[in-house]
Amino acid sequence: MLKSDLSATLGALVKAGVEFVLVGGLAAVLDGAPVQTYDLDIVHSRAADNIVRLLGVLESLDAVFRIQPERRLRPTVSHLGGPGHLNLITRLGPLDVLGTIGRGLSYDDLLPHSVEMDIGGALIRVLDLETLIAIKEELGGEKDRAVLPILRRTLAEKKAHSSH
Amino acid sequence: MNPAGEPAPAPEYSEDGVDLSLIRWMLSLTPAERLAFLQRRINDILTIRELNAEK
Repeated sequence: MLKSDLSATLGALVKAGVEFVLVGGLAAVLDGAPVQTYDLDIVHSRAADNIVRLLGVLESLDAVFRIQPERRLRPTVSHLGGPGHLNLITRLGPLDVLGTIGRGLSYDDLLPHSVEMDIGGALIRVLDLETLIAIKEELGGEKDRAVLPILRRTLAEKKAHSSH
Repeated sequence: MNPAGEPAPAPEYSEDGVDLSLIRWMLSLTPAERLAFLQRRINDILTIRELNAEK
C-alpha cells in the first residue's frame, strides 16, 4: 500500500525538536498557492545537535535514499552535515532533506524569511512566498518557471487582501 | 436557488491564465486546512493509481 502522511512527518520532526524551514511545493500550498505536490522539502539546521535529532527521526521513519531503494541506503550524520540534497523515501512518503537551496541558502539564511504556521497541533516554520518566488526566479529551471505565474498571482492576491 | 435564466458567472483568469478564483479559495483556508486538503488529494490519487495498477 502506497502511503503519504504529510502531517505525521512534520509532527515527528516538531516533536523531536528538529529545527527546519519547510520549503518547496508544500510551502507554496501552505502559503496559499493552489499547486499540486507530492513530496515534503525541508532545509534543516546543520548544527551538530540538530543533526542528531533529525537523524533520530529519519531512523524512526525508516528513511532510505529514493534512488536505488532496494539497496536500503540510509542517510548519515556526514550526509546531513553537508550542503547537498538528500532525496529520501520514508514509511510516511517522500521526504527531501536539503542542506541548502537556491544559491547556497542555508537554514540560517532562510529563517528570517519564514513564517510560523499552525498546521493543526504543531507549529512549523514555512518559507514565505516572496522568498520562494525569488529562489525559483533565480534558479530559472523549467519546473520552477512553470509554477511561477501561480505563485506571483497568489502573492498579489494576498497583498491585495491584506491592504483592504 | 438561482433566478431563472441567470447566466453562469464568467470564470476569472489572469492574463497569464491563472485561475484567480482558485487562489482566492485557497487563501480563504487556514494553513491546516490547506494541508488537509492537499493530503486528501494525494491520498485519492494514490488510491486511484493503486486500483489501476492492479488491473
